[in-house]
Amino acid sequence: MSLEEQLPDTVEEGQSADELAELLGDLVIDREDHVNAPGFVIRPDTVQDALRRLRDDAGFDHLSCVTAQEYEDRYESIYHLKKYDDPTQEASVVVPADKEHPVSQSAEPVFRTADWHEREAYDLIGIDYDEHPDLRRILLPDTWQGHPLSMDYDQDRPQIVSLREHANPLQEDQRSDSDSDTMFLNIGPHHPATHGVLHVKATLDGEQVADVESDIGYLHRCEEQMCQTKTYRHQIMPYPDRWDYISAGLLNEWAYARAAEDLNDIEVPEYAQIIRTMGAELCRMAAHFLALGTFALDVYGDFTAIFMYAVRDREEVQNILEDLTGQRLMFNYFRLGGVVWDLPEPREEFFEMTRDYLDRLPEHLEEYHDLVTGNEILQMRTVDTGILPPEVAKSYGATGPVARGSGIDYDLRRDDPYGYYDELDWDVIVKDGCDNYSRLLVRMLEVEQSAKIVEQCIDLLEDWPEDERNIQSNVPRTLRPDDDKEIYRAVEGAKGELGIYMRADGTEKPARFKIRSPCFSNLQTLPEMSNGEYVPDMIAALGSLDIVLGEVDR
Amino acid sequence: MIGLLKSMATTMKHALDGKTFTVEYPETAPEVSPRFRGVHKFSQERCIWCRQCENVCPNDTIQIVQDDMRNGEQYNLHIGQCIYCRLCEEVCPVDAILLTQNFEFTADTKNDFVYNKEQLKNVPWYKGIDPLNSRNPDRSAWVGEGDGEIDYQ
Amino acid sequence: MAAPLQSALLPEQIASMLGLSGVLGEIVGGLIGAFLIANIMLAMTAVAGPWAKRKITAAFTDRIAVNRIGPFGILVIIPDAVRLLSKELIVPEGVDRPSWDLAPIVLPASALLGFAVIPMGDLGPINFHLADPEAGLAIVFAFASIASVALIMAGYSSNNKYSLMGGLRAVAQNIAYEIPLIITALSVVIFAGTLQMSEIVAAQGDALVTIAGVSIPAWYAFVNPFAFVLFLVANMAEIGRNPFDIPEAPTEIVAGYQTEYSSVYFVLFYLGEFIHIFLGGAIMAVVFLGGAAAPISALSFVPGFVWFVIKMWAFFLFTQWARSALPRVRIDQLIEIGWKGMLVLSFGNLVLTAVIVGVLL
Repeated sequence: MSLEEQLPDTVEEGQSADELAELLGDLVIDREDHVNAPGFVIRPDTVQDALRRLRDDAGFDHLSCVTAQEYEDRYESIYHLKKYDDPTQEASVVVPADKEHPVSQSAEPVFRTADWHEREAYDLIGIDYDEHPDLRRILLPDTWQGHPLSMDYDQDRPQIVSLREHANPLQEDQRSDSDSDTMFLNIGPHHPATHGVLHVKATLDGEQVADVESDIGYLHRCEEQMCQTKTYRHQIMPYPDRWDYISAGLLNEWAYARAAEDLNDIEVPEYAQIIRTMGAELCRMAAHFLALGTFALDVYGDFTAIFMYAVRDREEVQNILEDLTGQRLMFNYFRLGGVVWDLPEPREEFFEMTRDYLDRLPEHLEEYHDLVTGNEILQMRTVDTGILPPEVAKSYGATGPVARGSGIDYDLRRDDPYGYYDELDWDVIVKDGCDNYSRLLVRMLEVEQSAKIVEQCIDLLEDWPEDERNIQSNVPRTLRPDDDKEIYRAVEGAKGELGIYMRADGTEKPARFKIRSPCFSNLQTLPEMSNGEYVPDMIAALGSLDIVLGEVDR
Repeated sequence: MIGLLKSMATTMKHALDGKTFTVEYPETAPEVSPRFRGVHKFSQERCIWCRQCENVCPNDTIQIVQDDMRNGEQYNLHIGQCIYCRLCEEVCPVDAILLTQNFEFTADTKNDFVYNKEQLKNVPWYKGIDPLNSRNPDRSAWVGEGDGEIDYQ
Repeated sequence: MAAPLQSALLPEQIASMLGLSGVLGEIVGGLIGAFLIANIMLAMTAVAGPWAKRKITAAFTDRIAVNRIGPFGILVIIPDAVRLLSKELIVPEGVDRPSWDLAPIVLPASALLGFAVIPMGDLGPINFHLADPEAGLAIVFAFASIASVALIMAGYSSNNKYSLMGGLRAVAQNIAYEIPLIITALSVVIFAGTLQMSEIVAAQGDALVTIAGVSIPAWYAFVNPFAFVLFLVANMAEIGRNPFDIPEAPTEIVAGYQTEYSSVYFVLFYLGEFIHIFLGGAIMAVVFLGGAAAPISALSFVPGFVWFVIKMWAFFLFTQWARSALPRVRIDQLIEIGWKGMLVLSFGNLVLTAVIVGVLL
């Protein structure tokens, strides 16, 4: 194709939908228009070809999410593509598959992150991905019958299947006959360092990790399906709090709010945006403190003082959030079109309390630097361990502090601005050490930036004229977006890019609700980081990923 | 080596200053924000049995039974299943259901958490805080019709 | 060579109190004395484990910790003991029975044996010192290192991969750090000219320097601070405390060698570890901190036994302090520090000491 030569020059500029269609050429069999991006419908056997062209020639190097769904007449996989350089440029590759035999080509050879995303799609929807290296169930147990998000799924069918009727999933893990130099070790799901119910199947060579495989799904709570049974206007909002429940609730709520507001063309008053920004950054601080504390547990051992100090600082943030939202973890504070309450009265008290906290923060952070980053043993343990090169991180769709610790300058708050972020003065923290230490440092420095944002928000809120404190715009009581309106929107959560895909079907409930969990993508990089390292480094790498199983499994 | 000593000095400083962050819980009751959402309190005198709370409840926690004249007979709420989102309070036009600050409740079985209207009525106020004043419910958000087509649902 | 400054040893005192003599007196006196010392150590462990450790950790982490039962919550020891002992003893399938049952006994026993030769000072007329053989220091190290046998027994027989890794780590660590530990202790032996514990203590009796009327005793910690630090580090590794707690390393290998132990066996392991810490403290006290002597002569009215207990507790406190602030090292780093760092330094220290002692004294 002649286009291929000339395109690299235009990558920086961004391409129009027509240019992209031209690039894909005869691969495109139809066009769709999603709210966030142009959609190109392609044949199910040309997925790799199309994605490779978009990646290499148009610069779409970030496969953000893979959404699968079933229609009355077909199955469909949507590959949501973005650019790490400019996430506002998006493209959706829509791959319909046959209703009788839903087979679609796998994108795994092009984007490594498609591995888990397609496994999830296979698990929940039932699309068969051709050429996928390892198409197994991922969230549900191996013995599960049927695909729960497909249309013909019988919810009443009992799922208790004895192992006698099925191959024992542990059978192959038994001691092998041959003289093997490696040892298989189950780390988790009940292990002090797996931060929840993660099961890491590790193959050890002495103390070194030969191979690890994460087994997830122990905390799968059907969050996507639950959201599909709730109304846009009010009922979905309490649930995002429960995805990443490590006090990142407002960040999650914002992900849903942003997607739903864009889907329904709802404007948010400026005043509410500032409150949202402040609340979200407080949540980010709380989440990062916990990440720091649990990382310290992993590296220091369970009697370390750092964990308690981090929890103390987090508690103080939660006190502020409790005054603001009425709850310490499950806030349910955002509403479509704004927030539910104005700042608590008396406002001065709230400002004072928050300022007090922010004033004390630098001293506390200094303490953490004394305890953590300045400690020679910690440096010995974390510098140059758990290496995640930027190219690998991109291929796995890593985002958030994990990507920024690998030198990828990617932060949706700045690159795809929402809320009030672009009006404020703050920096994106990027470290290019690619190791456990960088990821830790990024989080600690991000706390400072968040504090800076909160401080500016407070100044703004304090000076806001009293008669312009509009916390919610006028939103209809029932929202019914047009049939077949599709949107994918993401915000920068505490762990990375938290995206929501929604398809409307003309009713007051979404027809498909898909959550792009940052932890899910980040966790995929674990083998890359820990293979060849020692067991303690694998544990440290896992800690530095800062996963929350509630968000991984949803 | 300096870093190690600094680390140890930091924790020793904490040990010696004698300050504690934790509190002795039952004796020192925590400060609860006036906006905090705890166990519900229900007032049959106020309730007009409009069933809006039952409708809005995201996970069917509220169950209302009416007779054929649409008079209220039962008002059951499973406080163990509730996710404390406060949508029921928000939607209630007469403030018949409120979430108190009370977070202290126990039961021997899950079924004991199903409160009927009498039990809901007897839920005590926490430290005498009346949540309604502090939470100044924004009813306009519920009667709003949006800028577009009016929706009389 | 009779102990110069000490009165008679504890077994002899008991024998003479009971009016026994000869072999019978030695046996009865020895048994009663050993029983007494062992109980003192167990009592100290009981205070340390369920209570002091909680209180100390809480102080470092800004918490309150146990305070409900008894003054400062100290009586929590009783319900804790009941709780621990009344739990079900779970014996996993496929454990190597004799070895699995023996390990929890060998560990505390080895640490308790070490106290046989430790001169713990006197309290009134009683002299807490069971035996004073000429090779005392060698014996205490020999006893203490039996502990690693217990760890590998536990790790190997548990039929659990985490236990196995913990056992192997424990052995690798003990071998790597026992040599620097003993070599550093040897440098003290060169100073003192004897392996006998009472002699080593006696050799530290003089004043090193006197500044403004306050005399600093010639404890080897002051005479050779470098050796003291080396010994302290090696001792921390020997007893497996942070930053060298990798045989247990809860966040990596669950609980290491004791993963499969519960109830009484777990209590025995726990006891063994605490007694081991105290034994480590006792060795430090004897070899570097003047045994049961008071730090300044003005305070010598306080009985020696009290000083000795304080010194042991100081070491215990130090381990907890390190635990609150220091990350654990990785197994390969640990071995590297041991063989490439500590070993070289301890030999250097030994040679230097030998030269100085040979030339100057």
